[in-house]
Amino acid sequence: MIDSSIDAVHRKTRLRLSFSGIHLVLYFSFSLNWTQWGQGLRSAIGATEITGSLLMFVLLVLAFITLETIFMMLSRWGRR
Amino acid sequence: MKPRHLLPIALCALLVMAPGLGLAAGSLDDTGGGQAINPTAIAMFLLFVAFTLYVTWWASKSTTTSSTFYNAGGKISGAQNGLAIAGDFMSAASFLGITGLMYVGGFDGLILSLGAFGAWPILMFLFAKRVRNLGSFTFIDVISQRLDRDPIRLVTAFSTILIVIMYLIAQMVGAGKLIQLLFGLPYEVALLLVSGLVLAYVAFGGMLATTWVQIIKAGLLLTGVTLIAFLLLADSGFSFSTLLGKAVDAHPKGEAILGSGVIFDDPVQILTIQVSMLFGTVGLPHILMRLFTVPDMRQAKLSAYYASLFIGYFYIALLVLGFGSIAYVASAPEFFDAGGKLIGGSNMAAIHVATAMGGDILTGFMSAVCFATILAVVAGLTLSGAAAISHDVYAEVLKKGKPNPKTELRLTRASVLLIGLAAVLLGIAFQEENIAFIATIPMVVSASVTFPILFLSLFWSGFTTRGAMAGALVGLVSSIVLIVLGPQVWVSVLGHAQPWFPYDYPALFTMPVSMAVMVWVSKSDRSPRGEVDRDNYAQLLVRSEFGEADAEASRA
Repeated sequence: MIDSSIDAVHRKTRLRLSFSGIHLVLYFSFSLNWTQWGQGLRSAIGATEITGSLLMFVLLVLAFITLETIFMMLSRWGRR
Repeated sequence: MKPRHLLPIALCALLVMAPGLGLAAGSLDDTGGGQAINPTAIAMFLLFVAFTLYVTWWASKSTTTSSTFYNAGGKISGAQNGLAIAGDFMSAASFLGITGLMYVGGFDGLILSLGAFGAWPILMFLFAKRVRNLGSFTFIDVISQRLDRDPIRLVTAFSTILIVIMYLIAQMVGAGKLIQLLFGLPYEVALLLVSGLVLAYVAFGGMLATTWVQIIKAGLLLTGVTLIAFLLLADSGFSFSTLLGKAVDAHPKGEAILGSGVIFDDPVQILTIQVSMLFGTVGLPHILMRLFTVPDMRQAKLSAYYASLFIGYFYIALLVLGFGSIAYVASAPEFFDAGGKLIGGSNMAAIHVATAMGGDILTGFMSAVCFATILAVVAGLTLSGAAAISHDVYAEVLKKGKPNPKTELRLTRASVLLIGLAAVLLGIAFQEENIAFIATIPMVVSASVTFPILFLSLFWSGFTTRGAMAGALVGLVSSIVLIVLGPQVWVSVLGHAQPWFPYDYPALFTMPVSMAVMVWVSKSDRSPRGEVDRDNYAQLLVRSEFGEADAEASRA
């Protein structure tokens, strides 16, 4: 019986590591702002003063919370 | 006399002391470089202290066993605990420091916001449920379930105490200076006041009181930043773009503050900050300890989720406050001294923007909240350090998990007193030092020692005690050596022209080295204990995911 439990744990572990991987990629993408590849982010969006960098900050915060919400929902469905 | 009977006395002592507090403040009304004394701040602070002491008295009635002392009997809900966890991290350093950094460099200051916030999803995905299922009071319970308990407890308890003491020194020195500035109290009196109140919270009320103090403070801080952000946006026609425009006009760097490069220009430096902030936060003992205050694994996960919501909201509000401080403080002469310097330095930008938006009342409120923030964070740290001494070392190592409960509780309270005393003495000893490196050590050690041990214990079957010990030693030594050779100690403290190591936060290098040593030594470990450690993994894995009851069922 413990083998089937371990299989279930492995599935959950993969889920945990996948979400962590996505999170880390998003998290470290913020450092692009300090590289040549992130030059475009410094420009203002449309006629506003809001730059791509500032928008990226807010979107990353929201993306992290969204990821956590999805993770919670998947965990709940998994329990059912 | 029972400890809880002392609380009303403490409350009376505080009220008796209140006129003295005002007197001390009044006598320093025009201290150079400080804030003018604000009676509203003192009144609000006294109200907060009186209320939290009442909460401590209430909590002390049910704090009679080690369990209720360390984890509030596991009776805190996920939402309450989430707010308390958020409170642990929304420190005065976050509120004042990040706003101050944005005041100086605009967008660059946000790296600290994202760095700190990024830790919470990782805590939730990897650790919240598993740590809650495996531990009782501290994260060290979790790793000692699998590895050789005595050596691993001693090593991790040592790193926990080091992290707590370093974090405490940084908080106490910061607290002393901040309170000196906000309330005009002498530095030593400020330290004694902080320490005395924290001892009352922790020694009498344990985790229950500490958690509620943290919840109250987090609620007040969120209310304060919401109010300031609302007023800033209202004054800009509820247009963030308009607020940014005002900030650009007020800052000497102009539009450059809306993008990167004003303070930091090296991407590797950014990565070092990100790695230290993320993995360092995840491994902080007083944060991990909070996962045990909830009744079950689901609530532990909910705690991390709610903490993310509150902290995410807080940092988005700080985005408004940071640029608001540039827009409304940088161009207002009343916030500058005769030499043209910002009164109190850039760390006071958050308080000045409160003054600009809400006058004396909002300034008083935010000053009191900052003091409350320090008290609450120091209380959490003290409790965590006391648990490492009395639970991890005394109860689990010296008494092999079978301590006398009364002796353990007495020792915990004695440890709290000892840590409080050490915090005051070290706070006084380090008052003239550059404490930036002291604040760096806990994050880097946590990222290089605690995080790798916890992660590999829970996610790698080949991990052994020998690997953990070797990696922890390498992580600890390399962290301290690189911090000493880096700019904060080698240049700022020791006065050399150039650092041997160019970065302030070496965790980008020390954490991978520590993990690599843990993996390499574990793989080459052929000892009988190594076999036991590997064999323990399957059971630990099932218990970590399904809890004790389901694990028992699956064994049957």
